[in-house]
Amino acid sequence: MTETHTTAVIVCACSGCLGEAIDWDAVRSAFAEHPARPRFLFDELACAVDNRAALAEKLREMAPGRVVVMACSPRDHEETFRQILSAAGINPYLMQMIPVREQVAWVTRSRAEATAKATRLLRGALDRVTIHEPLTPRTVPVCPEVVIIGAGPAGLQSARVLLRAGRRVTLIERAPFIGGMAVRFDELFPSLECGSCLLEPWLQEILQAAGDGRLQLLLQAEATRVAGQFGVWHLTVRQHPRFVRTDSCIGCQSCVAACPVRTADPLAPGSDRPAIAAPFAGAQPGAPVLDPASCRQLQDGSCRLCQEVCPVPGTIDFDDTVRELTFTAGAIVVATGAEEMSFLPDGWGGEEDVHTACGFERLISRDGHTGGELVTAAGESPRSLAIVQCAGSLDPEGTFYCSGICCQEALKIAGIARRRVPELAVTRLVREQVVPGPAASTLLQLDESAVVRYGAFRELRMVREEGERTIRTDGQSVPAEMVVLCRPHVPGPGTREIARLFRLPCDDDGFLSPLHPQISPFESARKGIYLAGSCREPGTIRDAVASGSAAAGLVLAELVPGQELVIDPQVAVVDNAACSGCGLCLTLCPYHAISWDEEGRVARILDILCQGCGTCVAACPAGAITARGASRAMLRAELKGVLS
Amino acid sequence: MTEATVPHRYHPTTGTGGSRPLRVVVFLCTWCSFSAADKAGTKRLPVPAELSVIRVACSGRVEPTLVLEAFRQGADGVMVMGCHPGDCHYQSGNLQAQCRAVLLDRLLPQLGIDAARFRFHYVASTEADRYHHLTTEFVQSLYEFDTGAS
Repeated sequence: MTETHTTAVIVCACSGCLGEAIDWDAVRSAFAEHPARPRFLFDELACAVDNRAALAEKLREMAPGRVVVMACSPRDHEETFRQILSAAGINPYLMQMIPVREQVAWVTRSRAEATAKATRLLRGALDRVTIHEPLTPRTVPVCPEVVIIGAGPAGLQSARVLLRAGRRVTLIERAPFIGGMAVRFDELFPSLECGSCLLEPWLQEILQAAGDGRLQLLLQAEATRVAGQFGVWHLTVRQHPRFVRTDSCIGCQSCVAACPVRTADPLAPGSDRPAIAAPFAGAQPGAPVLDPASCRQLQDGSCRLCQEVCPVPGTIDFDDTVRELTFTAGAIVVATGAEEMSFLPDGWGGEEDVHTACGFERLISRDGHTGGELVTAAGESPRSLAIVQCAGSLDPEGTFYCSGICCQEALKIAGIARRRVPELAVTRLVREQVVPGPAASTLLQLDESAVVRYGAFRELRMVREEGERTIRTDGQSVPAEMVVLCRPHVPGPGTREIARLFRLPCDDDGFLSPLHPQISPFESARKGIYLAGSCREPGTIRDAVASGSAAAGLVLAELVPGQELVIDPQVAVVDNAACSGCGLCLTLCPYHAISWDEEGRVARILDILCQGCGTCVAACPAGAITARGASRAMLRAELKGVLS
Repeated sequence: MTEATVPHRYHPTTGTGGSRPLRVVVFLCTWCSFSAADKAGTKRLPVPAELSVIRVACSGRVEPTLVLEAFRQGADGVMVMGCHPGDCHYQSGNLQAQCRAVLLDRLLPQLGIDAARFRFHYVASTEADRYHHLTTEFVQSLYEFDTGAS
């Protein structure tokens, strides 16, 4: 700024709100000699819609180098005055606003004091605004693509809705198959439909979309880094090798038959599987997965039988490796789910024929290793089954909450077990029973189990009486040759990991907290990240599908193609020449906006991610980071002004 | 600046004392504490006229040297206010500010400035009354300070 420049000082009377609180003549006379050459413009109500054009015209004629506004709080009208400056052809950031209404006139009793304070604040603003620099916001188009994390019913439904609207979707799934927990179960609540049959059309729809490029399906993959904001999220995903190409595998299973290895099957306890196999019968995509820990070729290079029998050359690829992928998306749907607490509590584990509910369902599944037959570990038909509900729920030693779905699961299991072994004596041990809705109530009406009420889970004892195993409670003995514990449903490891990575707030149990539990249940606390399925709370497939639809609907409503994001120019910038490369700012930035420039050995700030908090500016030991619009020099000039 | 060099200051209400009123700088984060200062105005709660507010995006923007600079420029007291823990609009800037406040509490006496001349507070946007009380009490304590020191 040269000496010939003047500074316009707009003084707004706020329609008389300021009254006689400040002696403006005294203020004006105090600045007769100020080098910023203030020229006062008194306005009755500068913000009034009818006045704005006239004020802009006045400023245009005056053509000041800088503008100070003494009016209400910048929280009310900073944007209004910026627009007036723009209309006057003045860069809107060459302005400083003083809240003389809220912070001087309304809080100061004596006119002399208020006048002195206004004078002091004006001196600070004039000194500061002199060194303001013009800034220009940058705009970037929003990315209309959507990432969905988790391919269970909730994530699949979100993907289906978004695909129908023509959105490109990336679906990230930790497992080597899609469908989540639901496809692994044989008979689903309430109508006992087969899970993989029920979801089969959906799985085909998703795989079809993956085949024709509308959807990017990343299996055995997990997000490892996220940065950005609504409209422009930058994600890094790590994908583990399958060693079998899903796009060329024809699903003939020749490799599975050829594999000489037998290793324990994690999804079917007690049975084994080859090193190359589908995770379970009917898993989609149908391409097998090679287990690097047991494959002889990968261990010592001694066997290529599967590759030799594979009819499609190049499909089995022993050189497949971990891949890091980065991409951009405008919105993220988190559908990482929940799982049944998988360990058995003290006093119950290590015993034969004691299962969790999900473990028991796998055991009796028709694609399980007994072909759906219900037998004990000894291979015999059981005479009694005890189903312990609330096994760890509503319990200070387990989870304090009720998962809300295990009673339904218990009723379902009781019915299936009795159909498999008609003379089976089934007892449900019940603490609290939650069976809302007609479907669950129907199952309850049809249930033929004996019901024993108990008070606290820790008081239940599994004992042997005359060679028979029973569960003792309150003097009663419940025959329990086989035992199913309905364990609480807890957030899956994926959910915990996502919460940490995305810094999403959780409740005490690790479920992701919605923006508001009643009125915004499918939005997370971070704009542009939506929640679907049981990562929010345990739920049924119906809940998962409903929330998946809701999350997708919100994405479609909020992330509109063609929209532009305006990047605030008031961000932090690094002076490369001054940056010592200490890296302190990298760990401080709450938005991961600062990255390391290996070539220049300096920190680099991405304006699209920077929120302008200035934490890095204050922390930089070299003083190499400047907050645009609030630089160190500006704050010091203002400080000097108000103190002189 | 040592206590001995602080002149006995002019008292704006009694008109007694030295040649000029106390000068107090308050750094306010824009989302919580600056909003509280605005609301003190809306509620017409008196705020000491000695205060000069400097608005920053986040209390985490206030580097310790800025506080030192305020003292160097002749401030009698400096306050930094930020959002309550967990409420920071920039996630954790307020906690950085708190760390720096602890640093300043130890550093200021070594520079001959009584640490009581510096205060860090968490003030939520709804806490206009708290803002009124904190600022009034701080300025009052600085007057008593000066009287005691003179």
